[in-house]
Amino acid sequence: MKRKRFLKVLGGGTAGIAAFSCADQERAAEIAARQGALQDSDLTWTKAPCRYCGTGCGVEVGVADGKIMAVRGDEANPVNRGLLCVKGYHLPAMLYGEDRLRYPMLKNANGGWDRISWDEALDLIASKYQEALDDSGPESVAFYGSGQWGVHDGYAVTKWFRGGLRSNNVEPNARLCMASAVMGFMTQFQSDEPMGCYEDFEAGDDFILWGNNMAEMHPVLFSRILANKRENPRVRIVDLATRRTATSDYADMYVEFKPNTDLALANGILHILIRDGKIDRPFLDENVVFRRGIEDRDEIGYGCWGADGTSTNPADGPAERYGFRDQASPSSLAELEAFLAEYTPARVSEITGVPIGQIEALAEMYGDQSRGTVSLWCMGVNQHVRGTWMNNLITDLHLLTGKISRPGANPFSLTGQPSACGTAREVGTLANRLPADMVVNNPEHRAKAEEIWGLEPGTIPARPGYHTMDMFRAFKRGDVKVMWIQTTNPWVTIPNLNRIEREPGDGRFMVVSDIYPTPTTEAADLVLPSAGWVEREGVFGNSERRTQHWEKAVEPPGEATEDAWQVMEVARRMGMGHLFPWPEDDWHEPMYEEYRLFGLGIGKDLASYQQLRETRGMLWPVVDGRETRYRYAAGFDPYVEKDEGVHFYKATNFGERAAFWLRPYHVAAEAPDEEFPLWLCTGRVLEHWHTGSMTRRVKQLHQAVPRNYVEINRVDAQEMGVKTGDRVRLVSRRGDLELEAAVDGRGQPPRGSVFVPFFDEARLINLLTLDAMDNISKEPDFKKCAVRLERV
Amino acid sequence: MRAGAAQRAARSVRRAAMLAAAILVGTWGCAPGDAGVASQSDARVRAERRAYDGAPPTVPHEDMGMVCTECHNERGMPVDDLGFAPAEPHDGTAQAYSTGRCRQCHVFVLAEDTFAENDWVGLQQDLRAGRRLNALAPPTIPHRLFMRENCAACHTGPGARVAIATTHPERDRCRQCHVPAEGPDVFESAFGDGYAGEEGS
Repeated sequence: MKRKRFLKVLGGGTAGIAAFSCADQERAAEIAARQGALQDSDLTWTKAPCRYCGTGCGVEVGVADGKIMAVRGDEANPVNRGLLCVKGYHLPAMLYGEDRLRYPMLKNANGGWDRISWDEALDLIASKYQEALDDSGPESVAFYGSGQWGVHDGYAVTKWFRGGLRSNNVEPNARLCMASAVMGFMTQFQSDEPMGCYEDFEAGDDFILWGNNMAEMHPVLFSRILANKRENPRVRIVDLATRRTATSDYADMYVEFKPNTDLALANGILHILIRDGKIDRPFLDENVVFRRGIEDRDEIGYGCWGADGTSTNPADGPAERYGFRDQASPSSLAELEAFLAEYTPARVSEITGVPIGQIEALAEMYGDQSRGTVSLWCMGVNQHVRGTWMNNLITDLHLLTGKISRPGANPFSLTGQPSACGTAREVGTLANRLPADMVVNNPEHRAKAEEIWGLEPGTIPARPGYHTMDMFRAFKRGDVKVMWIQTTNPWVTIPNLNRIEREPGDGRFMVVSDIYPTPTTEAADLVLPSAGWVEREGVFGNSERRTQHWEKAVEPPGEATEDAWQVMEVARRMGMGHLFPWPEDDWHEPMYEEYRLFGLGIGKDLASYQQLRETRGMLWPVVDGRETRYRYAAGFDPYVEKDEGVHFYKATNFGERAAFWLRPYHVAAEAPDEEFPLWLCTGRVLEHWHTGSMTRRVKQLHQAVPRNYVEINRVDAQEMGVKTGDRVRLVSRRGDLELEAAVDGRGQPPRGSVFVPFFDEARLINLLTLDAMDNISKEPDFKKCAVRLERV
Repeated sequence: MRAGAAQRAARSVRRAAMLAAAILVGTWGCAPGDAGVASQSDARVRAERRAYDGAPPTVPHEDMGMVCTECHNERGMPVDDLGFAPAEPHDGTAQAYSTGRCRQCHVFVLAEDTFAENDWVGLQQDLRAGRRLNALAPPTIPHRLFMRENCAACHTGPGARVAIATTHPERDRCRQCHVPAEGPDVFESAFGDGYAGEEGS
């Protein structure tokens, strides 16, 4: 190493040591004082799932004197077996930022904040909701929650709204995240969530990652695949992507396709499988029906008004209602063959930019019956203007080859949030859903919910509420007058943020519950301090159907309280206390046990609260105290009575078979042109969780990725004369943003495209993104819009 | 035998040198800039690189553009002008996990500022020595072994802090004599009190 470089290392790279020498003397003294004062065995250790992603790693939380002193990976938890990622190892500091919200704060006339009491705050919310109900009816109130809600929080809200306020305007941020996967599973199996489990990572041979940077986004699960690969040289990883990432470095094959053309690629693979006869005909005959939906691009549209505020699609109309409903018609294997005729390798190669050899290789992998194939996907497929279709097509590949519902052979949808499955999907906090996969527009489902909740028949309204994109537009229009937001940060995460910005004195009322100040709390009228993570008791449900419970380990700061408690208290003040008839000091277990009634006996059986306390979580359906690792599979799933094979018993609309959907290729809503010649893709980085409101308050995580940046292809950058660290301006039809360029950084976008992480609240990339969405799932596409780059 | 004696002599010289270095570092206060090489065996610097005892350390040098295990290999290696790159302590994890994704847990320090103040201080390393049954008995292991399976990484060689450097690196079956002691529990014999155990150094 050169001397010069060494000096640079000392000067710039060892901030920790430099800081230690003078700036942090006090902290150093405290560290010194603590050395030797405590050891692992002096702490009280409790189990909890990690607060961040949908993996659901088990951690042990070590507490002394009412404060978390350490965490360690839980070696007894089968999810992670002791390993964590850098976010998980730094969990404790997340709760101790000095700017934690501690008291209810009300915005005053000058735009400042006044501290008020809980009684005042709860009374105010109750009166605002009551006023809106009286003046404008149940459609004028809304609740926007989260896949980071615990099960209790989501359940309290959905029960209060649907059964108390008689409004279905309940949505979770999971609409931005998992809605396409929900629609994928529901349209094919009539039952949400994957059939496989994490054991697929050891049992599988080929892991096909569809637009999924697993090394950064699900690092601990990716480690399980890498461990399998090291022990079994036959294991292969294929990275299908629009950008080179850390995941690509570990892939046996990197397949780069043009944005939105994954639809064509999947059809191209199906084409070859049929051409070569590599289909599982007996499996199809016994277990699969074929269906076709509406395929006309203009009829489906993109659910947005388009770039300049006028519709790119007349079907959307000026009222911002998205009336599109897909309609199923019967199809057949013969029709599929004709449908796929145009997706020849040559044409698919032309559309996607993927060499014919790679398309053939992918078909070879899916078609090889001697190998277990696991397809994995997350936001690349879900945040997609045809997200439901892509979910369908990936599952189609497994249905055509019979590689489903057995160890090491499954389509496996990964989730982004810790309880996107447990709370958003299973509790059903989406605008059209009830618990256990039921929907509000089904009279039998409403009747069952009313019975469990002890309500008069006809209490729950039949009409679905606003989905997320519509909810914020309705709030802006004034059709929604009161909105409460918990555990999420939409003023950073909604695409095309320009459209939700509030006007001063708009007459609306917005409540935000969170643990730290964010751009969303800044936009609120009333801010409530919430208890975070292990400052309260809770339940999360992860990607593999594992329900995990944790006990409260420490007290929340100041007057912070649990989200569910806030909701119940407002309900009581509105005369709806009958919805929450449990003792104030012991409501978690009875509330959960009531919720559990929804799923018993229908294949959605959750473990009992007591079982959850005693285990590191259990995979539903849990029948006779035993969990289910592989759903629909004989020998694994207690609802399957056959001796062998599979039985898709939930899909009663399809004769208890899975539905194979024929889905064509469509272009993206907005594509690069002369004026805006680059694709913009947005996403996360390993170190930061979503909008960074928690992780940025952890010194080690902030200092690892202190701000966002724009990744630019090396050749594009050279042509523009831009190098790493230069300031550039990114411009779309909706907004512009100045950022530092990153060339050959951790991600390398191909020519003609750029990537920007979305965590940085000071530099909001969602001012530029397009609010186009999948009109089946209503999930927006954060991954594709057109921008140009300017030197500053 | 002669070689062994020579090794022991060399070792005691080395230990004396390291002890001197430790004393030097121990008295080092606010002088900027001289922290790098000398600090590698200082307990306080170890603490500063970790959020708490048990957290993965941040990387105290800049991105070399290399695979981490080139230097942080099984034995560790000296790097010109920078100091000794400690060995990778995770070898046993090969059984369960790939160790190829170092930056999944170990991150660079690319900024000096903080986003918001956070005064959290977690568990610090217990600097008392492992418990011994008596002065001549081998000390127990006072920490978990998960992700720390390669004892040599921290207890031998130039990367080892003086206080925890082994006197007998040639014996590589460490856990033949040193056993983990994670809990405070004492076995209660049905036949009366056993040895109570003794805290000592």
